[in-house]
Amino acid sequence: MTNTEPTALTAEQTDHADRRQRGTHLPGDGHMWLMVLGDLIIFGGYFIVYMVQRAMAPAAYLQAQQHLSITIGVLNTVVLVTSSWFVAQAVRAAADADYERAVRLIYGGGACGVLFIGVKAYEWTMKITQGYTNSNEFFMFYYMLTGVHMFHVALGVLILGIVVRELRNPRRRRPSMVEQGATYWHMVDLLWLVIFGLLYVMR
Amino acid sequence: MSATVVAASGGEPVGTEPRAPASKRDLWIVFWIFPTFFGLFGVIFVLLARVIPPPRPDVTTDQKVQWFASHATTIQIGFAAVCVVFGGAAIANGYVAYQMKRMTSGPTFAYAYMGAMAVGTLPGLLLVALCFSAATFRPDREPRISAMLYDLGMLSFNGSLGCFATGYLAFAIAILYDKNQIFPKWLAYVSIWQIVTEVIATQMWVSSAGPYAWNGSIAFWLAVIVFGFWLNCQGIFLKFATDRQPAGSRPAD
Repeated sequence: MTNTEPTALTAEQTDHADRRQRGTHLPGDGHMWLMVLGDLIIFGGYFIVYMVQRAMAPAAYLQAQQHLSITIGVLNTVVLVTSSWFVAQAVRAAADADYERAVRLIYGGGACGVLFIGVKAYEWTMKITQGYTNSNEFFMFYYMLTGVHMFHVALGVLILGIVVRELRNPRRRRPSMVEQGATYWHMVDLLWLVIFGLLYVMR
Repeated sequence: MSATVVAASGGEPVGTEPRAPASKRDLWIVFWIFPTFFGLFGVIFVLLARVIPPPRPDVTTDQKVQWFASHATTIQIGFAAVCVVFGGAAIANGYVAYQMKRMTSGPTFAYAYMGAMAVGTLPGLLLVALCFSAATFRPDREPRISAMLYDLGMLSFNGSLGCFATGYLAFAIAILYDKNQIFPKWLAYVSIWQIVTEVIATQMWVSSAGPYAWNGSIAFWLAVIVFGFWLNCQGIFLKFATDRQPAGSRPAD
């Protein structure tokens, strides 16, 4: 809280705090929400197709599913939920104009994202060397869903990087920017929870 | 023809303005080629060339030959139509590039977009017409060769969707850097969905039935829905960008 320079409390920040109090505040911006809701619709389509295909051959899907390590799935879930905690804390720090803490927390969230990608890459390598490729329909879904999700995580790490860049510049730092990154990041987290349930856990 | 008529009625009231500012008629003529081309594209590929909805990949050689026999006439008319309107793809993409040059992100992304889209159009539009027309040219050809043209045409038409990914990336980055708001920021995000769905479509090269085949729910239909949404948004905002462009102004080279 030592770095609250006079220029830090801009009109936008005052307005931001005001709207938060009144409960009419939209975190981030409308563009990002359109991205998030659209993404959820598209992934929803993938999930429905997966469920339909699975219902047509439950035994084959169950048999293929046995080859996934639930431990790795749980590990990645913990990593990603932790990253969301970091990012959520960063939003709070930015709202309090404690930008240095916000940057540190976002670094933590981004590091978890990179770790998630690392674990996922390890899992893919293991599965491919064991011979479970996209010639099996379950594994086709596995590679597609986790691959698209991994792309979203990578994009999220890039977005968090942009947030850090903005936060470091005293003239450009603003809470809405952090919220925008956090909105996207929490969507990535939410999608993983569903993917984890569908691919690893559902029997 | 329709392009010029609409351009005259929908364009800026050049003649009625007392001070007669510079005309935007050229912009409107080129703009209307965008919806005209994609409208014709839809008619040709749905009604004539019969590639949307896609014929099944999981059929026998005889069924493929039979399919060509029963659609020979429309395929040939469709190919003739493709020859006439194919250049419209370049104009539609070129006009998007022209509006992109008005962005503060500079003309480099515009040229990247235009070039990348031109590359994608050849396998994604022309090659299927060539394959199908060649198949109908000699109906007595050895069946397995006709079957190969069937596969090649469809894989080229749908399987090459990823070739547009570079163009979409250039479009998305240009929008995100632009401060003139020629296109809304969310259209950049929709372009990223386009990249994702079209890269997933590559799975049709290893899957001949089910959701990842070239007529599959994921590889084809979801990608087409996203493409349709994206294209309509691009067209609408292209019109808004043309509306807002001051008459007589032109982007820097």
